[in-house]
Amino acid sequence: MEVTFKDVSLSYDGSREILHHLNFTIPEGTLVSILGPSGCGKSTTLMMISGLLAPTSGQIFFGDEDVTKQDALQRKVGMVFQNYALYPHLNVLDNIMFPLKMAKVPKPERKKKAIELAKLVHIEDQLDKKPGSLSGGQQQRVAIARALAKEPSLLLLDEPLSNLDARLRIEMRQEIRRIQQETGVTTIFVTHDQDEALHISDHIMVLNSGQIQQFSSAETLYDNPSNLFVAQFIGEPVINTLDIADFGDELKGQIDTELLKRTQKVGIRPEALQDHDTGAETLATITTKVKTFEKFGREKNALLDFNGKRLLTTEIEAEIAEGQELPLYLQKSGFYLFDQDGTRIFGGDQDA
Amino acid sequence: MKRKTAIILRYVILILGAIIMLMPFLWMISTSLKTQPETVKIPPIWIPKHLMFSNYVDALKEAPFFRYFINSVVVTSLTTVGQLFTSILAAFAFSRLNFYGKNILFVIFLGTMMVPGEMLIIPNFVTLSQLHLVNTYGALIIPWLASFFTVFTLRQTFQSVPDQIYYAAKIDGASDWHYLWHVLVPISKSTITAVTVLQVIGSWNAFMWPLIVTNTENLRTLPVGLQAFTSDAGTNYALLMAASTFVIIPMVVLYVFLQKYIIAGISKTGLKG
Ligand SMILES: Nc1ncnc2c1ncn2[C@@H]1O[C@H](COP(=O)(O)OP(=O)(O)OP(=O)(O)O)[C@@H](O)[C@H]1O
Ligand SMILES: [Mg+2]
Repeated sequence: MEVTFKDVSLSYDGSREILHHLNFTIPEGTLVSILGPSGCGKSTTLMMISGLLAPTSGQIFFGDEDVTKQDALQRKVGMVFQNYALYPHLNVLDNIMFPLKMAKVPKPERKKKAIELAKLVHIEDQLDKKPGSLSGGQQQRVAIARALAKEPSLLLLDEPLSNLDARLRIEMRQEIRRIQQETGVTTIFVTHDQDEALHISDHIMVLNSGQIQQFSSAETLYDNPSNLFVAQFIGEPVINTLDIADFGDELKGQIDTELLKRTQKVGIRPEALQDHDTGAETLATITTKVKTFEKFGREKNALLDFNGKRLLTTEIEAEIAEGQELPLYLQKSGFYLFDQDGTRIFGGDQDA
Repeated sequence: MKRKTAIILRYVILILGAIIMLMPFLWMISTSLKTQPETVKIPPIWIPKHLMFSNYVDALKEAPFFRYFINSVVVTSLTTVGQLFTSILAAFAFSRLNFYGKNILFVIFLGTMMVPGEMLIIPNFVTLSQLHLVNTYGALIIPWLASFFTVFTLRQTFQSVPDQIYYAAKIDGASDWHYLWHVLVPISKSTITAVTVLQVIGSWNAFMWPLIVTNTENLRTLPVGLQAFTSDAGTNYALLMAASTFVIIPMVVLYVFLQKYIIAGISKTGLKG
């Protein structure tokens, strides 16, 4: 089901606004992640979609239908909570059957459906256990099965993987992707882990301080960040950021002076600093001094000193020693300029 | 060595405590098996010469105990079920719903818990007599259909259930009513069992109130019925104790079977019975 927010704002206490004028459309059948730092309003957004929380102003649409005034009972979405919220007094089977029981589905049918779902999430061998005796990953699968039980047209997941260890996390996010693709249910997935969002979703909505920073595909977020926040939030290792005062001289002649005047910050992705000349792709050459150089596995990180500022690159091919001078070739792709509001004014596909 | 003494000491104290607690019961059983003269013998004797099991038969013949027993069962079950029902609803309202004056109302109710029960006897009696309910089953039951102690205990438990469980139930299509009966009540099973048992025991053993509001034999409950052994000529302790033994047996059985829940329920809420 397509979900649309029209100018939705929310304040819990009537004075401090948590979410400011959200406008977005989530297309039917896609998996969208809401990504942002802790406290930016991700759970709050999800609660408003589910109907557990009413917006202070604005409208919410499911397809063409205005559901703003409907409560959670009427909206019939499926939801997995941050801490799973399984019913502790019911065993796995009864937990999955609960939404069906509420919908007055006859018992034999309920059971059949629940077992089907248990198989889908691979917990069919745990049906008699109470949630308390399940591992985090198993609980999460039960929660997903329960959320899918009434065949919602919309599935909401609030940081469902945050309690799992690294390996299980990767396994489960593939699992969620598989289930989503098998069932075709429109899914909204909340996370503060960019890696998770990048791997699982069709589109990512980056949220910060209650405002949508950018809503696009993972590649677009990385290649064309619309502002400094997104550029810094997406990407590992983090983008190098310098004040224009520290870097402007290198760019004179290469970039329009009017543009440089408006520039406040310079963003350079670690892979945009190459140790060899790439010809037309090279924007400028800078001289740096090696501070530290680390190699583990396939990863190579060189921390460099540039006029007293720190720069990080991942692209060193040659053997280098700490303390030596090193010329670096600044690449066009992965190089951005941001104005005083943080908006990107140079770099990305527009200037490729 | 030091630890061993500590353990021994602990057990000695516990055993002494248990003996003190059991003493009245043992005395009751012992007396119920004595002959009439033996009951008033000084120094008192613990083990009668002949065990007078016939006292039990005689005691039951003394008064219509079967009728009293039925009355006790009816009154106890109706007050318990009724009180539980009203308390569960009230506790849900206080823990989950938002309504005007909720906190003030709660504080006022909390205040009523400080009023000793004996003080309520006269106002309650007056109210009932104006409703023409004195000397009816209604008098035995209606005043006990609400108990703030039970409301308070349940509210504490209900509040310890995380919000997200409530939200999950909402998402799963449960109305407040369904959430209450399908989720909240089963989750709070141990507390509910504890307050139920406390209420059953309280109601079963109630003496003062039934004595005051009833005066026909048909309405007597067991504790009131035990008066049958007291007359102007004195008290027949042997028969009284035999009958008393009958009266408390159901409660002892109940407690033995449910003690796990009772202890869990009471220690969870931080209240004692
Ligand atoms: N019930 C509430 N009453 C008042 N303020 C709240 C309430 N719930 C959340 N907030 C505030 O709203 C803001 C957004 O909270 P929200 O839970 O949506 O963040 P989040 O993005 O989900 O964070 P996290 O990643 O830590 O879960 C926070 O500043 C928080 O303090
Ligand atoms: Mg959250």
